[in-house]
Amino acid sequence: MTGPAIAPAYAGVDELRRVARELLESGEVRVIIGWEDARRGARPVFITDPAEADKLIFDTRCVHNLVTYLDPRRDHVSELGRIGLVVKGCDAKAVAGLLRESQLSRDHVVLIGMRCGGVLEEGELPEPLALTPENVAPRCYGCDNREPTLTDHLLGEPQPEPPRPVMTIDERVAALDDLPLEERWAFWTEQFSKCVRCYACRQVCPLCICERCIVEKTQPLWIESAAHPRGNFSWNLTRAIHLAGRCVDCGECERFCPVGIPLSLLNRKLQQIVHERYGYTASDDPENAAPIGDYRLDDQQEFIK
Amino acid sequence: MSERFFISETDLRGLTADLLDGGTEVIAPVATDICQSPSAVAATACTLDGSKVEIDYRQLTSADDLDLSRGLPQLSLKEFFLPEHEALCHWRQKGTTVQVFEVPTEFAPRVVLAAKPCDAAALAVVDKVMNWDYEDELWNGRRAATTVINLACQVIDDSCFCTAVGAAPDDVKGADGLLTPVEGGYVYEPATDKGRALVEDFAARFSADVPADTIGGQADDERAAARARVADNLEIDADSVRDWIEANFEDPLLTHLAMRCNGCGACTGVCPTCHCFDIVDEQEGVGHGTRRRLWDTCQAPTFTLHASGHNPRDTQHVRYRQRINHKFSIYPLRFGEVLCTGCGRCTRVCHAGQDLVEILEAIDIAARRPRDAEPAEAAS
Repeated sequence: MTGPAIAPAYAGVDELRRVARELLESGEVRVIIGWEDARRGARPVFITDPAEADKLIFDTRCVHNLVTYLDPRRDHVSELGRIGLVVKGCDAKAVAGLLRESQLSRDHVVLIGMRCGGVLEEGELPEPLALTPENVAPRCYGCDNREPTLTDHLLGEPQPEPPRPVMTIDERVAALDDLPLEERWAFWTEQFSKCVRCYACRQVCPLCICERCIVEKTQPLWIESAAHPRGNFSWNLTRAIHLAGRCVDCGECERFCPVGIPLSLLNRKLQQIVHERYGYTASDDPENAAPIGDYRLDDQQEFIK
Repeated sequence: MSERFFISETDLRGLTADLLDGGTEVIAPVATDICQSPSAVAATACTLDGSKVEIDYRQLTSADDLDLSRGLPQLSLKEFFLPEHEALCHWRQKGTTVQVFEVPTEFAPRVVLAAKPCDAAALAVVDKVMNWDYEDELWNGRRAATTVINLACQVIDDSCFCTAVGAAPDDVKGADGLLTPVEGGYVYEPATDKGRALVEDFAARFSADVPADTIGGQADDERAAARARVADNLEIDADSVRDWIEANFEDPLLTHLAMRCNGCGACTGVCPTCHCFDIVDEQEGVGHGTRRRLWDTCQAPTFTLHASGHNPRDTQHVRYRQRINHKFSIYPLRFGEVLCTGCGRCTRVCHAGQDLVEILEAIDIAARRPRDAEPAEAAS
């Protein structure tokens, strides 16, 4: 019996370290946010000293969407100064989301794009593993942003396409759609019953940018903060709906959920609906207006009675 | 040496069935293969052979569900003593008259089987604050009604550090008895009257005839080996850590702990000792509702947001420092106990890579530095 194959780092790590060092040395940025290898595997790292640029890594364990650190509400990050951010193609879509919604000025960040061939579901591993249908992050299947255009630097070499997961997110959504209403209800009731209302899904989301989340409004108490079925349904559905047409499918909400609620299924279903109704797909082009901030005379409106 | 009894695995399941048949609630780890459940479609990591096991403490419906594989449940035992949410009272208002309906504070007897020693120890630690300036009737009521039986732990992974904070994988702190696996069954050691009552009530299930080689043999060897394994992960001087944190509140080590932290409350939710709660009034209709308490988290800005708009903990760094400070300095100074039992769940659930083992190691090194440096200075 052989263990899973260890994968080499993706091409471009040396360039990444060089670019990061130069950006810090020239003062063009004050901090580089990328990934490092730590005791428990890959994790985000904040590098301010050019001598530490060699800590940066890029391999199949670099699953984190670091765009969440660009959130203007994160005072402890923004006070460091201009940021150089390492992004995968999928992550660049979240930057476009922030630009689209005027949460960020393009010149406030230097984007270092890495050509990616997919990532694992989990980055907490001592070594990068070669991707297989069992371990690949399902969202990587059919990636449509393998050559991001929004970045200032695009490093590495074109990579082969990620493998098809055992079951794609679309297949799982379809399997749920095929269930009778009562069973679908039972499914989500069971899933939401696990929620402990930690709000990890919200905190890690690069596009959950409200100054004050509706769930924190207590007078009146619009969404009950208790983890009972009423409160949990209200919270989870509200979170999903607020991301409709904005979600870039990075899957961080699901990955951070300490009780394993499959939030990607909800997010993907809403993406499908938004695509079907408004022909919109999230991209890394900030000029590609999202339906939430766009009005067109030919928008479907037959639901208005 | 404490009293020891032998119970076979068959008898342990039989005992569980006896309790259930007698109408006693039994809480124990239950393993669920989420790929086999109705929500199989939910499992993002159902492999080709279709299996992904999750372990949770559950109220048992059948003795067959008792899981003795010794994996760590996702959430701690906390939720059975301080539920995620619970009613404190109900009210009904008519005109200027308000009626308040109390909730019961006495509970039917129940038994926790195969508890993780770190989870049981947390109950004893939290007892202190729950009986400090106010006696929490709901917490105390559930504690009094519950018999907790630990299962000696074989150490889960490199995030475990119970021995660094005064607990152990074979601890009985907070529990009423301990089961240690041996050939063919378990050695049972009662630690309290409640733990002894279990032997008296179900005498036929236990044997005083403990296999000779397990005393000072297999059981003890495995327990010692488990303690050594967890000590390999982390060793700190908790007293020095406590004092150093108190004296170095503004040290950059403590003021810049949380760069990568997302400020979600996952760590506090899964923590067996985090006990802070919020109280909300839920209006359930015209003139009636429920006052409810629910888990809160010091990692959220709203935790300390004042009505004036001022927030004394206004960045994630200081919120994270508060968590460390409360656990390893404030609580031990006030109650003589570290508010952490080393279960490692906070580290495991943090996908941003906040690592308590690493942080405690760094603080411990800082705390030891002056002391270690003294002889060197004297020599020079």
